[in-house]
Amino acid sequence: MQCETLENTPDLVQAFTEAALRDPERAALVHEGRVVTYGRLAELVHTLAERLGPRPGAVAVPATHSPDTVVAMLGVLAAGGTYCPVDPAFPPARRQEMVSAAGCRAAVATDVAPELELGLPATHLSWEEEGGGGAAGDGFRLGRDQDPEAAAYILFTSGSTGRPKPVVTPRRAIAASVRSLRGFFALTEEDRVLQFASLNWDTSLEEILPALTTGATLVFDRDAHSGSFPRFLRMVERERVSVLDLPTAFWHELVLHLTEEAASLPDCVRLMVIGGEAVSPARLADWSRLDTGRIRLVNTYGCTETTLITHAVDLHGPSVPVPAWDWSEGTRAPIGRALPHVVELIGEDDELLIGGPAVALGYLGMPQATEKAYVVVDGERRFRTGDRVSRTPDGLLTHEGRLNDEIKIRGIRVDPAEVEAHLAGHPAVNTVAVTGATAAGRTTLVAYVVPRPHAGTRELDADLRTYLRERVPAHLVPSRITVVPQLVLTTSGKVDRKASHQRYATVNRSKETVDER
Amino acid sequence: MSVDTTAAAAGRSPAPADTEGVVAMFRRVLEVDEVSADSDFFLLGGDSLVATRVLSAVARTYGVELTFADFLDAPTPKRLAAKIAAAR
Repeated sequence: MQCETLENTPDLVQAFTEAALRDPERAALVHEGRVVTYGRLAELVHTLAERLGPRPGAVAVPATHSPDTVVAMLGVLAAGGTYCPVDPAFPPARRQEMVSAAGCRAAVATDVAPELELGLPATHLSWEEEGGGGAAGDGFRLGRDQDPEAAAYILFTSGSTGRPKPVVTPRRAIAASVRSLRGFFALTEEDRVLQFASLNWDTSLEEILPALTTGATLVFDRDAHSGSFPRFLRMVERERVSVLDLPTAFWHELVLHLTEEAASLPDCVRLMVIGGEAVSPARLADWSRLDTGRIRLVNTYGCTETTLITHAVDLHGPSVPVPAWDWSEGTRAPIGRALPHVVELIGEDDELLIGGPAVALGYLGMPQATEKAYVVVDGERRFRTGDRVSRTPDGLLTHEGRLNDEIKIRGIRVDPAEVEAHLAGHPAVNTVAVTGATAAGRTTLVAYVVPRPHAGTRELDADLRTYLRERVPAHLVPSRITVVPQLVLTTSGKVDRKASHQRYATVNRSKETVDER
Repeated sequence: MSVDTTAAAAGRSPAPADTEGVVAMFRRVLEVDEVSADSDFFLLGGDSLVATRVLSAVARTYGVELTFADFLDAPTPKRLAAKIAAAR
């Protein structure tokens, strides 16, 4: 057997093809109970790659919870192209901005989402046609001659200018990260992994890719997204899901539900991965009191710019070191230790810097932003996370706060300046401050708006909400928009977001506090 | 929309659906006092996450299992109460 090192991690498409060849009859995907085998999936991927042609560049793919998106993703990668997921539910203006920022020259159209309406030449993904029958033979070659430095995918983070910021991730980064995660999750062919995360965010890749390069089964089911926990739990049991990867904010709600119902998770679940924001010690204490001792509860940390997860730790379950943590004392949960492929450095102001093969190439078409975020320290390129951390002697990191105003809304990074830039574009708006506030146990986005002189302010908050909904995805629309006479300024004359919130939140109806994180 | 008898199955007898009950539910879940029969949950600061708390509370109290899509379609106490009543 060939010895693999981090330097020669096989390409992702090669790893998938090898898993597919090992047992082509095995279930790769289950969608609403219907099975797609590894053999069939490899055939569809191969057919699409052939139709896209070699090196198709950045390809826009409608991102939906469906096997089509997985076929399109792997098909684009197999052709040597760059996967660029676009949520059909995003406003058309946002979708257009995304594909032009990513430099997409082609698109994939699927039966689930036929119309991305981006004005790009589309290759239709069809489940009807038979493949060339050569998936097993020819497919084996796919991924063999890929350039590890070529762009594998483009995903977006929040940017202060109001335009989405495209992060370019090379093939070596995703290959290294996925290989590390297969080991950390201890995935086997017997595992059944739920596809829960939105396909716009890289969390979806940490569900899809470790599973499909192991020979495990990826489960798609509409009951995962119904908003009803009884349905969710019945689905987990019915589909025999063994691995769940949930946003921490959603896990908090799940634990509240299980606690109120005095219920537990079905026996099939062996691994619960969470991440995206700080874990509540109160929910951890609730979780420890439930019948969950057999389940590995794993906290994770990572940025899009450093590819999926870089740090992880078992918080509860069979793999925690003895003595286990006592969450009832309000202990803050650590974010984890560096995974094997990660080179970690704690820099000035206790900022976490990440090096190693999983560091992305940078922000496409934004050399200044890239230069600011990616720095060379000790001869190695590293990403500045903006997160302040503390480190125990055995390498366990705890999050201590942000070095800038970025906040997390339902686990998604939001730069308040991006929302401010959009609101300031409305003709009735003079100045605006956006910040995070904690209400009903979760972080929400709040906006304070000073109207232009003589601008009509009647129903301005509702107008602004509509205005934003037409331009940005839902996580960038504030929960509350308040029209105020003026904002609080710092001594240097800049808008003080938190002080503005504090001034007006105290007279507000809700019992919210300023979010300190 | 499908109907489930969670509360009934657990041996509890579900309460009749009433607008006032749903108003109280919104207040508790959102930690906001100003809720009326016609207040829109999502304009009061509710999002898909807190919505799961309302859906869980509805299942527990009224024995009706609604989905997020049902809630989007009936986001005020008055309309949600009507939806609950219709589903029983």
